[in-house]
Amino acid sequence: MTESKLSIVDLTKRYAAGLEPAVDRLNMEVEEGHLVALLGPSGCGKTTTLRMVAGLMDPTAGSIVVDGKEITHTPVNKRGMGMVFQSYALFPHMNVEQNVAFGLEMRQVPKAEQKARVAAALDMVQLGHLSKRQTKELSGGQQQRIALARALVVEPTLLLLDEPLSNLDAKLRETMRTEIRSIQQRTRATTLFVTHDQDEALDMADRIAVMNGGLIEQFGSPTEVYERPRTHFVANFIGQANFLTARVCTEAGRANLAGESYYKVDVEGLGQFGAIGTAGLSGSTHELVIRPHRLSVSLQPGAAQAPLAGTIERVSYTGDALSVAVRVGGQQLQAQMLTSSGDLPRVGDAAYLSWAPDDAYILPTPAVPERAAAA
Amino acid sequence: MSDVKVFKPRFNPAKPAFGLLVFLLYLFLLAPLLIVFVVSFASNQYLSFPPEGLTLKWYEMLPQESTFMEGMKVSLIVAVIVTLIVLALGVPAALALDRFDFKAKAAVQSFFLSPLLIPSIVLALGMVLLFGPLELNNTYAGIIIGHVAITIPFVIRTTLMSLATTDTSCEAAARILGAGSWTVFRRVTLPIIQPGVIAGGVIAFIVSFDEAVISLFVAESGLPTLPVQVLRYVENSADAAVAALSVILILISLAVVVVVERVMGLRKALR
Repeated sequence: MTESKLSIVDLTKRYAAGLEPAVDRLNMEVEEGHLVALLGPSGCGKTTTLRMVAGLMDPTAGSIVVDGKEITHTPVNKRGMGMVFQSYALFPHMNVEQNVAFGLEMRQVPKAEQKARVAAALDMVQLGHLSKRQTKELSGGQQQRIALARALVVEPTLLLLDEPLSNLDAKLRETMRTEIRSIQQRTRATTLFVTHDQDEALDMADRIAVMNGGLIEQFGSPTEVYERPRTHFVANFIGQANFLTARVCTEAGRANLAGESYYKVDVEGLGQFGAIGTAGLSGSTHELVIRPHRLSVSLQPGAAQAPLAGTIERVSYTGDALSVAVRVGGQQLQAQMLTSSGDLPRVGDAAYLSWAPDDAYILPTPAVPERAAAA
Repeated sequence: MSDVKVFKPRFNPAKPAFGLLVFLLYLFLLAPLLIVFVVSFASNQYLSFPPEGLTLKWYEMLPQESTFMEGMKVSLIVAVIVTLIVLALGVPAALALDRFDFKAKAAVQSFFLSPLLIPSIVLALGMVLLFGPLELNNTYAGIIIGHVAITIPFVIRTTLMSLATTDTSCEAAARILGAGSWTVFRRVTLPIIQPGVIAGGVIAFIVSFDEAVISLFVAESGLPTLPVQVLRYVENSADAAVAALSVILILISLAVVVVVERVMGLRKALR
């Protein structure tokens, strides 16, 4: 087994005795060179976790190990990390060059080497020509790049990014996403990235830790957390999802390469369908997750086998795609279709839904009644 | 095209009326200073207005008036030391009040700001009574302690104002980049809050320099400051030398303000 760059073991933060912990016995292994996104809604403990790794906050319990060395109680200025803040946190009284050189100065790097490394770092973020500018004169995106250069110039053991894109406007955010990712891959800086934006996480990360209530609900690659969510929360938070409560009947006997089994499931009021899930789920009640764009919608009956007949209750048009809400039985299901130049479906039209067994994933955790109701 | 209506701003009577109001307000504020200025050049035997003729003799008198010179020395020494002490105490106090949450925070904050609310005559009386047994009356230490008490609220207020607008992640960023707490303070925090600190220092200096009530109570007989000397002088003689002195003092204050404004922008500092 390769040694992890960063290991977080049972990390816990309780702000006050008697309060629910903000981070609750969190465990995580981060591989060298990976970008790991801590993704979750506000208050899920992602920023608290990042600040504990940075050393800006003391954990209540647990340990943080970097390169095999325990650093849980190492002072923040001795950890050798780099961090980019949501507010950029550039020093307002220093120019661009002085900002970037600060960390090198603290490490007492010789002046000439400082100059060369600062220039290289600024070139990396394509702002070499602005080195003498005051930071106030720069745009948000430029300030963000300076902050990134300042964090990377010291060749940090870990690069920590605290919602670095949330102060930028939508277009710029996408450009910066690509740019941060490519710089991260070039420098191979092991990176922790806090975000509440699932698109950012899916696009940029090697691994995503989906957090909720101080716990990691799932830790996996972007495709894993999207395609094979472990919990209702993960399925609901990442992308859109339809949830159907189903009784898992027989195992169909076949398995795919990942060792997953195909099942027949019984959805109350709708009938029997094919679905896929981890082995050994037969006999209990679980939730099915079906992504809206994996539901095929047709306006004529009979195209797919055993289609579900329903009525369109809402249509929302976004140019390239069309979201429709279809009432089938007692449930409303969201589905997506591509638009064509022909007639668009209207509210009240009949629609027929079907899905392939591979697109209906059975959540491995048994359905909790009130969760199913909330969906 | 001829029937296109051209918009002509109509005469607005509110404008000159407002101008007049501003002029009168300034006149009201500055009139005492203007009169002192005029009187300091007046040849009148006694302190009075209007002037009967022009002279520079009051200014020529000043260097010979040893009480003024001694008072000036005492006041300058006191004001400089008070400014240094009050910055050394007030800036850390403001930092603590801004950055930490502790039980008695509200109480401590009110305590530091309370000298602004208590009439200085009450403070002065209290100090005389307290300083008696401590043998601080008529000493530099006594005056300085008194002045520190009344000027510290200003430094704390202006520093807190600067701190309120700073981004604390700047300090976190510096620490992560390897700076120890003293380096963070010296290289990051202090430069960022510098405007508030300087404004507080300037105000503390000016307030201490022309403070009369506490100085009068605590050190009238032994260590009279300039304002005390001026009071005494006016009690005994009624010529315009004090007016000349006042003009000099106004010019000194003005010089301080102008220098600070030129060097780092006092307007920014006081905002």
